[in-house]
Amino acid sequence: MSTAPIGIEALNVYCGLARIPVAALFAGRGLDPARLPNLMMDQKSVALPCEDPVTNAVNAAKPLLDRLDPVERASIELLVTSTESGVDYSKSVASYVHEQLGLSRRCRTIEVKQACYAATAGVQLAAAYVASGLSPGAKALVIGTDVSVVDERAEYTEPAMGTGAAAMLVGDRPRVLALDQGAFGLHSYETFDSARPGPTFDVADSDRSLFAYIDCLRGAFRDYADRVEEAGFAETFDLLAMHTPFAGIVRAAHRAVMRDVRPAPSRQEVETDFARRLEPSLRYPRLVGNLCSGSVYLALASLLDAADVEGGARVGLYSYGSGCASEFFSGVVDGESAAAVREARIGDHLAARFEVDFAEYTELLAGNARCLVPERDRPAEAARCAPLLSRFGIERELLVFNGTKGYHRQYEWTTAGAA
Amino acid sequence: MTAPRPPRGGRAEVERAILAAVAEIVPGVARADITADKHLRDLGADSVDRVEIILSVLDRLGVREPLASFSDLPNIGALTEFLYERMGK
Repeated sequence: MSTAPIGIEALNVYCGLARIPVAALFAGRGLDPARLPNLMMDQKSVALPCEDPVTNAVNAAKPLLDRLDPVERASIELLVTSTESGVDYSKSVASYVHEQLGLSRRCRTIEVKQACYAATAGVQLAAAYVASGLSPGAKALVIGTDVSVVDERAEYTEPAMGTGAAAMLVGDRPRVLALDQGAFGLHSYETFDSARPGPTFDVADSDRSLFAYIDCLRGAFRDYADRVEEAGFAETFDLLAMHTPFAGIVRAAHRAVMRDVRPAPSRQEVETDFARRLEPSLRYPRLVGNLCSGSVYLALASLLDAADVEGGARVGLYSYGSGCASEFFSGVVDGESAAAVREARIGDHLAARFEVDFAEYTELLAGNARCLVPERDRPAEAARCAPLLSRFGIERELLVFNGTKGYHRQYEWTTAGAA
Repeated sequence: MTAPRPPRGGRAEVERAILAAVAEIVPGVARADITADKHLRDLGADSVDRVEIILSVLDRLGVREPLASFSDLPNIGALTEFLYERMGK
């Protein structure tokens, strides 16, 4: 196996065009505002009726691909979409994404699923493929993409569910994150903490899910420490980025793992450590909501935009997916990583999302609710979405969902933010 | 045949640990409201608070146990029995 650097060459996210303040959603649903401090979420991205997992994936990856030269684009020979929002039992989201991104036909194209963990499985399997040297110079594009299907039935989960995608280009020029090869820890077992039994609803057991998330962090880190000599949670990593279903769970998990550290840190020391090593990774997730398997990569982007990594930093990453599977792994970032992510202007795009009130939110939710439901012939609605698209604050090229013909999903390129 | 190790402070020690942890994490709760038939959520503890309470109780009792073991316990009485039994191991 090669010891040359391998990792994430480029990273971009797409987090929708609309947002609602979490406090407004709490008020609209009659939720108890006393729960806000433990939720630690500020805004939530809201999907439009013309958005789906395919458009989210393409809209995350397209700006990243536009910065590649033709030779680099042609070297993408593995496309992995990770989603719990599949649009078909047989045909992958990746097949539509492959077409819309204009990728080479010399490309393995697959969809993977393991709730919010699967994008990390995609990244690690892609990195191992690149490292194998079987196809020198090959790159892989891994996209975690999802939509939220939850409504008021999900109670306190609804305000924390986001929509969007994260796209990672994996290769041997890891400008964004050079993976510590061989440094990973795994922890997986069967549990029914949350699931999506059908295309219109999720089921979740909040205690079981929170407990599994924390048990898995402890278990995955123990496995990491077994593989990596002298690794310690408190001292090995300058910064941390974790799957963020809501920011409060990250704080709770950090506190839980810090209980295993010896000598035991004081409560104040734990809080200071959380602020220093984790808060930079939470800025974007707190403005977007849970991106599912893309979430840990949104947290990484947030960290690179918010923390000072000019002198180089080792980042510990934690990925968890209900059901459940988890992984703790690490990599190295530096000023070049921050520069690479800055090119994506993620903060500007989040700020450019137009704000909706509770009444408009419920309309949009209803409009997007059946985007995963199979329909033989669904009318085109891209044109109806145009007034919404124009409210986005930055002009950009955008793919939109435009109905189905004989179950075949139709897509159209348009311009958003042109008002 | 070896006799089972006797539990340290018995159920009373577990109850004291639960009362102290609840008082630490959800300070507004009256002691009289913390009864065996209630779930921690009935005391106003959300899921994050419940994690903090369980971890605090485990620390106080010196017991190591995955959080997943606590997913199905219906009330504080069951929590007490479960921890009492675990302390004997």
